[in-house]
Amino acid sequence: MTRAPGTTSKRRVGYVFVRLGLLLMVLNGLFPAVWLLLTSFKTENELTRIPITYLPHHFTLHNYVDVFTQNPFARFLLNSAVVSLVATLVTVLFASLAGYALARLRLRFRRPVLTAIVMTSMFPALVMLVPLYRLFVGVDVPGLTQLFAYLHAMGWGFMPTRVMTPNLLNTYWALIIPYVALSLPITTLILTSFFQLIPDDLEAAATVDGTTRVGALFRIVAPLSAPGMVTAGIIAFVNSWNEFLLALTFNTATTMRTVPVGITLYQGEFAFPWAVISAAVTLGIVPLVVLILSFQQRIISGLTAGGVKG
Amino acid sequence: MAMAPEPTPYRKPGFFKRLRTGNLSDAQLGTLLLLPALLTLAAVMLYPMLTVAWQSLHFNRLNQPFRGTPFIGLDNFRRMLWGEGLIWSPTHLLVVRVVGLALLAPLLLAVRRRWLSRLSGVVLAALLVLLSVYVLGFHPGPDGSWSDPRFWNSFSITLLIIVVSVVGSFAMGLPLALLANVESRLRWLGRVALLLPWAMPRVFAGLTFAWLFQDRYGVVNDVLRHLGIQGPLWLARVTPAIAAVNVTIVWKTSSFVGLILLAGLQSIDASLYEAAVVDGANAWQRFTRITLPLLRPSIAVALIFRSLTAIQTFDIPFAMTRGGPGRSLETLGVYIYNTTLALNIGYAAALSVILFVISLVVTLVYLRWIYAE
Repeated sequence: MTRAPGTTSKRRVGYVFVRLGLLLMVLNGLFPAVWLLLTSFKTENELTRIPITYLPHHFTLHNYVDVFTQNPFARFLLNSAVVSLVATLVTVLFASLAGYALARLRLRFRRPVLTAIVMTSMFPALVMLVPLYRLFVGVDVPGLTQLFAYLHAMGWGFMPTRVMTPNLLNTYWALIIPYVALSLPITTLILTSFFQLIPDDLEAAATVDGTTRVGALFRIVAPLSAPGMVTAGIIAFVNSWNEFLLALTFNTATTMRTVPVGITLYQGEFAFPWAVISAAVTLGIVPLVVLILSFQQRIISGLTAGGVKG
Repeated sequence: MAMAPEPTPYRKPGFFKRLRTGNLSDAQLGTLLLLPALLTLAAVMLYPMLTVAWQSLHFNRLNQPFRGTPFIGLDNFRRMLWGEGLIWSPTHLLVVRVVGLALLAPLLLAVRRRWLSRLSGVVLAALLVLLSVYVLGFHPGPDGSWSDPRFWNSFSITLLIIVVSVVGSFAMGLPLALLANVESRLRWLGRVALLLPWAMPRVFAGLTFAWLFQDRYGVVNDVLRHLGIQGPLWLARVTPAIAAVNVTIVWKTSSFVGLILLAGLQSIDASLYEAAVVDGANAWQRFTRITLPLLRPSIAVALIFRSLTAIQTFDIPFAMTRGGPGRSLETLGVYIYNTTLALNIGYAAALSVILFVISLVVTLVYLRWIYAE
């Protein structure tokens, strides 16, 4: 077979470059995680040896046992899972409802509302720390305390009582509520773009067949936009699983800590038991790796269809 | 003989009846559907923001309750931004001019090449000059001092992190996106490598890189040792620590930029490239004439979100060095956190307001820039 020699060699050079680039990319993305995995299989003795070893000489799973015995790590995993899953479900539900309204109804304040929702992602979680803390400790329900004081003063047999919102600190709600709010802007944006892609006719046909608007939303629009919901859900889940600051501040009881916060418990005042920490971090990443491996195509195509319209 | 029942006059069915039968107007249904999201955002975002703004005008130290929480106007801000014996320094002005020229030249080029409109060029240039003059040229003289030097330290380190990490994450994110878009059998592996840093918690990334940069047993110094270089005490000395933290942030965030850009790349029509090939355009021309211009919206989105998260940098410096060594890596975020821990609520609120104002300015400038195009 004959080819124009110039193009072949040029193409081969390009091919080599791309392969090299891909190799570097994989190395860049995965090396820290792989190194963590290797570290978690080494003994603490082996870690403090010079020259350092790359592959574990004495393969051990002891660090993983330590992770679970030194702190209630299973409980951390459970907390993270419950908080993230509930927050994800609520976020996707709220964002779908809002996205549907913003994409398909004739509303006068459509654009300003969408802009306002997206703009709230400018609020750093850090800024909300103190006010939210106070809110979650419990605040007076406006009016009710005064009402009871008034009734008491009128001599109607009521005791003056402070009517407070419940103390949410060290409960799942203290994390679920802010996580929903933190993920809502981006998921609403994605889902709004998704709903705009679904043809109007389908919904109109369903309405003619006797389904209500809300029924059409759940039976026609929701299934068709399932890919967008999966993408939004994954983003919400990753956000919630990764959040650190609010979890650190609101849930201080050991049994209520999430994984990222719980891992800081393994650090001593001066010593860093790296082997155990590596094992704990590895375990904390596993759910995310599973998520990525099963949904990688979904995440990227979801972002393509929805995320970049803003 | 029974009378025929009187016909009842037409009554509009109740709200819930209309909801069930789907007879609500768009405005009613829209309000109903938007309500959960808007209520959540109002409770968790808007209410705290307003409280913080109000708090920032008060003296409030929880560890000194006997002093009460008097209203002190803008005193918190004066203490933050002002100092004694403030002067203009000529040497700093020189630095400003050099830095200004180095940054203004590419800006001018961008306007000439029409990558930027003239208006946005002027706005950006004015902002640049103001910022660099204020940060570098205006400072306390030999006998003076800032009222709160910690704020200026955290402000400048945050600025540094913003510039380095935004530029760095784009310099790394664009090649990553291009590579992840190449057709290949191993593409899924590349994508996993792109997604993993994005999905990894920032705290974990900080811990992992703290281990990689560990001075005795870390991989980085081991590689340097093999190359015959004595690696520094990465996290215990100021300059290496700044470098290490920036590398970590760039590693963590370039994947986010890469993902957004990859999404943009995938929405570019392949036939454009085929047409360009037919017209004899080489790869570089195809990249600069097709890819980059069509990627502009994605670049804008990534730039906005990336800058906003860079302003709020907290997790990674906190996990790696707790803002140390000393206070050299105390970003605005870490400073706010530490002030809150010191129970100085009023001052922390004022710092939060400044952080928010910076975010707002950055967003507005970007939005202006996008809409001007």
